Amino acid sequence: MASDTASGDKGSGPNESTETDNSMFECNICLDSARDAVVSMCGHLFCWQCLHQWLETRPNRQTCPVCKAGISKDKVVPIYGRGSTDQKDPREKLPPRPQGQRAEPEAQGGFPGFGFGDGGFHMSFGIGAFPFGIFASTFNFNDGRPGPPPAGSAQHQEEQVLSKFFLWVAVIFIIWLLLA
Amino acid sequence: MTHYDFEVTGSKVARCHIKVDMVNDNFLELIGEIIGPPDTAYDGGKFKLEINIPDTYPFNPPKVKFVTKIWHPNISSVTGAICLDILKDQWAAAMTLRTVLLSLQALLAAAEPDDPQDAVVAKQYKENRKTFTQTARHWTNVYANGPHRECELEKILEQAKNMGFDEHKARVALSSSDWNLERATESLLTS
Repeated sequence: MASDTASGDKGSGPNESTETDNSMFECNICLDSARDAVVSMCGHLFCWQCLHQWLETRPNRQTCPVCKAGISKDKVVPIYGRGSTDQKDPREKLPPRPQGQRAEPEAQGGFPGFGFGDGGFHMSFGIGAFPFGIFASTFNFNDGRPGPPPAGSAQHQEEQVLSKFFLWVAVIFIIWLLLA
Repeated sequence: MTHYDFEVTGSKVARCHIKVDMVNDNFLELIGEIIGPPDTAYDGGKFKLEINIPDTYPFNPPKVKFVTKIWHPNISSVTGAICLDILKDQWAAAMTLRTVLLSLQALLAAAEPDDPQDAVVAKQYKENRKTFTQTARHWTNVYANGPHRECELEKILEQAKNMGFDEHKARVALSSSDWNLERATESLLTS
């Protein structure tokens, strides 16, 4: 029974009271103390294994087993207790329990009246080198690039012409930028 | 103490009149019992249930049906099969045998005639509520040891028995024909 496995800390306490204490931390599915505990957004505690199996059983209709609220794998929060062995080797058991998410604390001070505090507002200036971007990406679709063709072949000449052409295009573009 | 015992042995169970027993040594076959809720036609009856626990429990619902014959729109009067959403697609893994039995008790108190398991019973429930209640009480008295006798219906049944029909078959035929003896004998003779 659940209280047997979890009541080692208070050996001689009255059985009834420890049972109610521990039932606070029992998985709602297996009714044992929650192992690899996760909690849903609606606040219900489960073993990760149990909840994962439940979600796998009904992939189309993922609801909380207790209150039938909508639930999903990436919206559960893992619970790390102090004596948890799980932190030593969290990835040993499949499927892995989702990671806790760390939000940055809210910024203190600054200008509370302004909508953009630090980190909230970004502005960037940029000049897009439009034609070069197109050429660079369209002419690069071979992954393993072939070596340069031998000098004197038709392809070599063609490449020389192309490279001169692009050089001129670049020069014209830069001049245009300076004049504009 | 086992998982299943633990599920049912809450402190409230004694007051709600539900219980679960094992059929044999494994926990996959169980016999449940619920007492008919007060102020209903099932008041005081003891209804036995056959409970089969699937291997995938609690991720899939237990298979439950009535062993005790019962007259109810959502329960087959022939097979005892139950039409209840939580035993099908509305099952949730946090439910227990306790919640299942309590839900069945609630089903006895509040039938859903628009989602029937037994169409004949549901029709009677909607169109002739008084007859339905009498019939359900009579079935509870006969099959579930309920305390309330329906003398009026018993007299009609006695007449059918005197005509040489089997008691249970006569009861089913009478119940299905709103206790009209002529229609009941007709259906008994044609079947």
